[in-house]
Amino acid sequence: MTIRSFSIGVLAALLTLTAWGSFAAPLEVVATSPSMGALARSIGADRTRVTVLASPDRDLHMLQAKPTMIRALRDADLVVAIGAELEIGWLPMAIGSAANPRVLPGQPGYFEAAAQVDLLDVGAPADRAQGDVHPVGNPHVNMDPERMVQIAQALAAQLARLDPAGADTYQANAEHFALAVAQRMPIWQEQLAGAPGAVLYHRDAVYLLDRFNVPLLGTLEEIPGVPPTARHVKALQDQLQGRSGIIIYAPYQSVQAPNRLARELGWEAVSLTLEPPMNAAGSDYLDHIDRWVLALSQPQ
Amino acid sequence: MPRPLARIAIATALMTPVAALPSTEHEIRELRSLIDEMKTQYERRIQELESRLSKAEQEAHQSAQRSEAAAARAETAARTAAIESRPMTAPTVVEPSEAQSPKTVLGALTSGTAFNPQISVFLDGNYYHDTIGGEGGSLVGRAFQPSRVFGDHGHDHGHGHDHGGHSHGAPVNGFNFTEAEIALTGTVDPYFDAALFLAVDGDGGVELEEAYFQTRALPAGLRVKGGKFLSDFGYINKQHPHQWDFADQNLPYLNLLGDHGLLDTGLQITWLPKLPVYTLLGVEAFQGNQEIFGTTLDGGEQTELGLGRTTDGPRLWTAFAKVSPNLPTHHALQFGLSYAHNTQHQEVHEHTHQHRHDDHHDHDHDHGHGHGHGHGHGHDHSHRVVVHRNGLAGDASLWGVDLVYKYDGGGAYGHRNLLFQTEYLRSIKDLTVRSSAHPEAIGSNRTFTTDGLYAQAVYGFAPRWTTGLRYDVLGLTNKISGGRNDSFGSSDRWTFDVTWNLTEFSRLRAQYAYNNILESPGERERFDAFYLQFVMALGSHGAHAF
Repeated sequence: MTIRSFSIGVLAALLTLTAWGSFAAPLEVVATSPSMGALARSIGADRTRVTVLASPDRDLHMLQAKPTMIRALRDADLVVAIGAELEIGWLPMAIGSAANPRVLPGQPGYFEAAAQVDLLDVGAPADRAQGDVHPVGNPHVNMDPERMVQIAQALAAQLARLDPAGADTYQANAEHFALAVAQRMPIWQEQLAGAPGAVLYHRDAVYLLDRFNVPLLGTLEEIPGVPPTARHVKALQDQLQGRSGIIIYAPYQSVQAPNRLARELGWEAVSLTLEPPMNAAGSDYLDHIDRWVLALSQPQ
Repeated sequence: MPRPLARIAIATALMTPVAALPSTEHEIRELRSLIDEMKTQYERRIQELESRLSKAEQEAHQSAQRSEAAAARAETAARTAAIESRPMTAPTVVEPSEAQSPKTVLGALTSGTAFNPQISVFLDGNYYHDTIGGEGGSLVGRAFQPSRVFGDHGHDHGHGHDHGGHSHGAPVNGFNFTEAEIALTGTVDPYFDAALFLAVDGDGGVELEEAYFQTRALPAGLRVKGGKFLSDFGYINKQHPHQWDFADQNLPYLNLLGDHGLLDTGLQITWLPKLPVYTLLGVEAFQGNQEIFGTTLDGGEQTELGLGRTTDGPRLWTAFAKVSPNLPTHHALQFGLSYAHNTQHQEVHEHTHQHRHDDHHDHDHDHGHGHGHGHGHGHDHSHRVVVHRNGLAGDASLWGVDLVYKYDGGGAYGHRNLLFQTEYLRSIKDLTVRSSAHPEAIGSNRTFTTDGLYAQAVYGFAPRWTTGLRYDVLGLTNKISGGRNDSFGSSDRWTFDVTWNLTEFSRLRAQYAYNNILESPGERERFDAFYLQFVMALGSHGAHAF
C-alpha cells in the first residue's frame, strides 16, 4: 500500500468517524444552573445530554471553579449560562481551563440567557461603593417565565446551529415550552392579582415581581453583597409597619435578618430557591415558578 | 438648516428603516442626500462611523437573526445601530436585530472594557510584630538547611538579578507595605490570552511578577503558555500573595523555593485528556534562573571557584499531574504530584577559620560543614580570621505532593465553607565539590536533602468570617550525605488566623504564629509573630483557579 492510499484510507476512516460522531452522539450541554439545565432538557430532549454545574441551594455568584466543572466543560458542545456576569467568579476561569475552544464566549458553543432578553436594573453606576453591582443589568432572568420563553426560542436556534438535523425538534420543543408557559400565565396572573408584595433579601427575584406587577417592598441587603445592617432592617420595619407582605430569601442567605423583620412585622419569612431542583426538566421549572407564585399570593 | 432641526431630521430619518422595514430605495436615497448634506459638518464623525459600520456589517453576518424584541429596545441603541449600519453603503436591508449587536455579538453580557485589558489592583499591607525585634520576619525564610548558607558572601544571589532587596514576606516590626500588585489580563486575539502582573513594593520598586500568553484555541485539551509565569508545580505555587489564606508563605515554599516560588521564564504545555475523572498533565521548560532551587553564580565566582559557566537554557524542567475524583456536588478534592529538575545548580559554601599564632588547627566553622582538617595553607597568618570558600556544582531536584479538599458549605457569605490543603516538598541537590581550600575534598560528592510540609485548614465560622490553622515544618529530613554525612534538626511553626472578608473585594486579617526556627546547627530562635493585614482588590471582578 502506498503512503498515499494509506493516507486516503486514514482520512476516510476519520471522516466516517467524525460523521458517525456527529450523528450518533448527543450534544453535550453544560448548564451552569438547574434552570438553564431544565430549559436545555426541555428543548434538547433526547438529542442532548445535560450536565448542571451548580446546585439550586448554592449562590451562583459565589461559586468557585472546581476541577470536575472543568472536566465537564472539556467535552461540552454548548455551555448554557445565565450570564450578565452572574457566574463571573468561576465560569470564565473554568471555561478557560477546560481547553475547549468551542465553548469560549463568542463561539456558537456559548450561550448566555441574559443576552437574549431585555434586562432590568440596567446602567447602575459601576461603583463598588454601591456593592457588588452589575452595570450591564440584573442577571437573574431565569425568574421570569416570559423571558424564559424568549430564551427557549434563542436556545432552540443555537442548538439548531450546532445540530442542524435537530432544528425541527428544537423548534417544536421551544414552542411546546412556550405553550406550557402560556397556559399557566393566566393562572399565575390571577393568583398574583392584588398580591401585596414582597421583601427580598437581594434583588434576585425582581424579574418575577416585575412580570406580575407584584410590588417589591424592599431588600434586606441595602447594598448588594453586604449583609443587612440592623439600621436598615429597622428602617424597613418602620416603613412597612401596618402593611401586609411576605419576606423571601434564598437558602444561602442569612436567616437572621429575614426572621427578625418577619417577627417585627408579623409577616412570614420563607426560604425559596431561585432555581428548580438539580435534575429539573421544563415542567419542573414551571412548578418552581408555581412555588414562588403561591408564596407571593398568600401573605399573612 | 439650523442644527437642532437637522439633528432631529437626521435622527428621524435614520430611525425610519428600523421602525418600518423593509426600507425602500427611495428612503435610502433620501437618507443619503441628508447624510451628504451633513457631511461637511460631521466629516470627522462620519469617518469614524464608517469604520464602525464595516465592523457592524461583519458582525451582522455572524449574528443570529433576532426578533421583535428589538422594537422595544432602548431608542438609543436603535439609533446608534441605524446610524452605524444603514445609510452610507446601504443597498441591503438589515434586520432590526442588529440594533442589539453591540450587546450580544459575543453572546455574552459583560461590563465591557472597550479593548482595554481587565485591570485589577491588589493592595497588601500589614502591621507586624515579633518578639525578637523584627528579625523573625526574615528569619522564617532563612531556616537552616545545609545546602543554603547565609553569610556576607552567601550564594543566595542568583546571577544577573538580585532578590536580596525585594521580598514579599520579610516584614519588620511596625507597619509594612508588602506590595501593590497590578494585574492586567485580556484576550489578545482569537488565538491568545495574555496577562501581566506587576508588583510594586513599599519602596516603589517595581518587579515583573508574571507576563505570559496562553493559547485559547488548541484542540484536544491542549494549552500552551509562554513567558514569565508561576509554575503549576504543586498547589500554592501559582497563587499570588493576596490569594493566600495566611499573611505569609509556608516554610517549605519559602525556604526551598524562595519568596516568589517557582517563577521563571519558559514554556508550559498542559493536556486535559478525555478521561472519566479530571486529570491534568503538564510539562514545563524554564530558563532556570531561580533564587534557591537551581541557581547559578555570577561569572566571576564561577571562574574563581572553578564551577564552570552557566549552561544554555532551558535548565529547569517540571512535570506535574493533577487528578480530581468526582465527588458529590459540594465537595471537591484534588490530588497532585509534581517534579522539577534543574540541570545546573551551583553553591558556594563559606566557613571561617580562627587562627591563633601558635595553633593552626583550632578553627571554628560558622556553619555545619566539617571539612576535616588541614586548612589555611597559603593564607596570611597575620589575619586572625580566614574565610574559606568551597565551590559546589551539580543538579537539583524537587518533588512535590499536594492534596486539596474544599467543601462548599452553602451558608451566607462563605459561612461553613471548609478548605483543607497540604503539601509535601522534598529537595535533593546532588553536588560535587569543585574547589576547596581543602584539596582532599575536591571531587567528592555531597547530596543535600531537605524536605518540608505544611497542612492548613480554613473554615468559615460565621458569614464573612474565616479562621485558619496551619502547621508547617522544614527539615523533617535535613541532611548531607555522600562524601560526608551529617544531619540537622528541623524548623516548625504553628499559625492561627482570623480573617474578616467584608466583601469579595476587601479583607482584614489577624494572625498569630509560634515559630521555632533552626537558625544554624544547634541554634534556635523561638518567638511569637503577630500580623494585622489588609488586602484590598480594586477593579474588575476576577476569578480564581481551584
